[in-house]
Amino acid sequence: MKRNWQSLRSLTIASIKMYFRNVTAVFFTLFIPVLLIVIFGVLNNGSGSSINVAVTNYSQTDLSKTFVKTVKDITAIKVEELSEGQAADKLGKGKTDLQVVVPAEFGEFDQTGQPKEAQIKAYYNEGRPQQGQPAALILKQIVSGFNDNLHRTPQTLTVDTKGVKTNNLGVIDFLIPGIMAMSIMQLGVFSVAFGFISYKTSGALRRLQATPTHPVNFIIAQSVARLIVGMLQVCVLLFLGIKFFHLHLIGNILNLLIVATLGTIVFLAFGFGIAGWAKEENQAAPVANLISFPMLFLSGVFFPRDGFPHYLKVITDYLPLTYLADAMHRIANEGAGLTTVRGDILGLVIWGIVAFAIAVRLFRWE
Amino acid sequence: MPNDITKVKRPTSTDQALLVVKDLRKKYGDFEAVKGVSFEVKAGEVFGILGPNGAGKTTTLEMIEGMRPIDKGSATLDGVSVAKHPFQIKEMIGVQLQSSSFFDNLSLTEILFLFGDLYGQSAHPDELLKEVNLQEKAKARVKNLSGGQKQRFSIAAALVNNPIAIFLDEPTTGLDPQARRNLWDLVQQIQAKGTTVILTTHYMEEAQVLCNRVAIMDAGKIIALDTPDRLIADLLGRGFEPKTNVAKATLEDVFIDLTGKDLRE
Repeated sequence: MKRNWQSLRSLTIASIKMYFRNVTAVFFTLFIPVLLIVIFGVLNNGSGSSINVAVTNYSQTDLSKTFVKTVKDITAIKVEELSEGQAADKLGKGKTDLQVVVPAEFGEFDQTGQPKEAQIKAYYNEGRPQQGQPAALILKQIVSGFNDNLHRTPQTLTVDTKGVKTNNLGVIDFLIPGIMAMSIMQLGVFSVAFGFISYKTSGALRRLQATPTHPVNFIIAQSVARLIVGMLQVCVLLFLGIKFFHLHLIGNILNLLIVATLGTIVFLAFGFGIAGWAKEENQAAPVANLISFPMLFLSGVFFPRDGFPHYLKVITDYLPLTYLADAMHRIANEGAGLTTVRGDILGLVIWGIVAFAIAVRLFRWE
Repeated sequence: MPNDITKVKRPTSTDQALLVVKDLRKKYGDFEAVKGVSFEVKAGEVFGILGPNGAGKTTTLEMIEGMRPIDKGSATLDGVSVAKHPFQIKEMIGVQLQSSSFFDNLSLTEILFLFGDLYGQSAHPDELLKEVNLQEKAKARVKNLSGGQKQRFSIAAALVNNPIAIFLDEPTTGLDPQARRNLWDLVQQIQAKGTTVILTTHYMEEAQVLCNRVAIMDAGKIIALDTPDRLIADLLGRGFEPKTNVAKATLEDVFIDLTGKDLRE
């Protein structure tokens, strides 16, 4: 037991050292994603900075008028009052960042003199969440101030914010979570498929089998090293995004890391499946490409899948990278929690189990 | 033998058998690679397995090392059955594989520390590297070593767990005469410390210099087993006469005389 732990720890440290001393691997896992973001980020640096809000007020009450006026008084927000249809049209075309609908009950009282429950609807442009989401937050604060004035608990006035997918996608905020997902896939599939195969063909793995350590320890060590690299990738991309490209990370970093870890495990299973099955790199390379290349374009990493024909969208819904990219987008851009993305998590878990089962069946040590 | 290596005194081996191999067999599909091999190796001796390529030497070694399942027969090292306790056997022995390599991107010292940990021990890379005369290469990578240095490092890694026996599979194949002689010294040094050595080789001269006893294998079977001297005496006893008069020196002696014994690496 002690020996097992000692060898596992030592193999893990060795695997991490080997990874970071491998210039090619570091280049592909850390430098390429950063390069992609820099290129896309520099290409799309021209998006406007004022926040456009379209308000539709169905309520005739003084409270609702005060609410609209309060919003108008905020200098960072440009408010126009429009009909709901016009506002939705503008949002859809990306000409406004947030559409706000104040319901008729807002500020009305029932027979007993109690304020009626009313929910303000707010739709923001998912492609420009950096504009829409802060505006929605400001709305929430105003409404909560109103609630306090009404001395009501539970709160009768609430804001329901929803992201709306539009054709005008903000680039960096969409791109960074997507590139995170892509890098995780490349890390799992390629760095394992090639790295592990080279240990197999060179005889290093065979030499390890001459020692009393169980060879599975080496697989665990290699996986742990890559999980650490995966986390590092996510952190580096977030740091660069926030520091240099005004990425608005709405969600929780911890949630992002949890989903990233799950994604890494799933793609590691793919990688070990390929590396375990193949006898040499020439066998592994085409399979690794065949699995990962289509997903780069079909999983909504670089561009959303909304433009796909229906059948293609339905099929690509089930791709492992789609689940990962979707979860990362929703956490980063919409602030979704883990329960909100449970569908994606379930999809990843199922893919993980399937890939692991296949990897175990196909695995050959020599 | 013309050179002084043969004059190194070998410790007298005890008569107690350390390794007992009985009727070992291995089949790959329809091909029977090892067809019932039996021999014993005494504690402290250097035992050689000779034979042409494809004779089954490597397969035999790998079965004894616990690296390849034994189809039939048995191998017992110091009373421990290989088939029943392969991991225990691996703890007791050191192994140099014919075509193994070590991890890239790790220094010799780091690899030795790692291997020590794999045995649940703390390795002493400095001492091991000194033993194989590689202390100056402590920070080098395996890929930057010469052929002879690689083999010596491979032996250092095989000694990391203080094994009672080490298995060397063709340790001198592909080495130049200087490096080969250097490795002979190392093997004799290891034997002098009381470690039993089991090795395979194509070089008869090497077997004659190093081995207390040799088994000659062909087509999966042992066809002769004795000390080198007695095997030669037997052959001469059967009326064998060399085709030409035996020269008092070989071409290799000329080569070593001209180029010196210093290692070129």
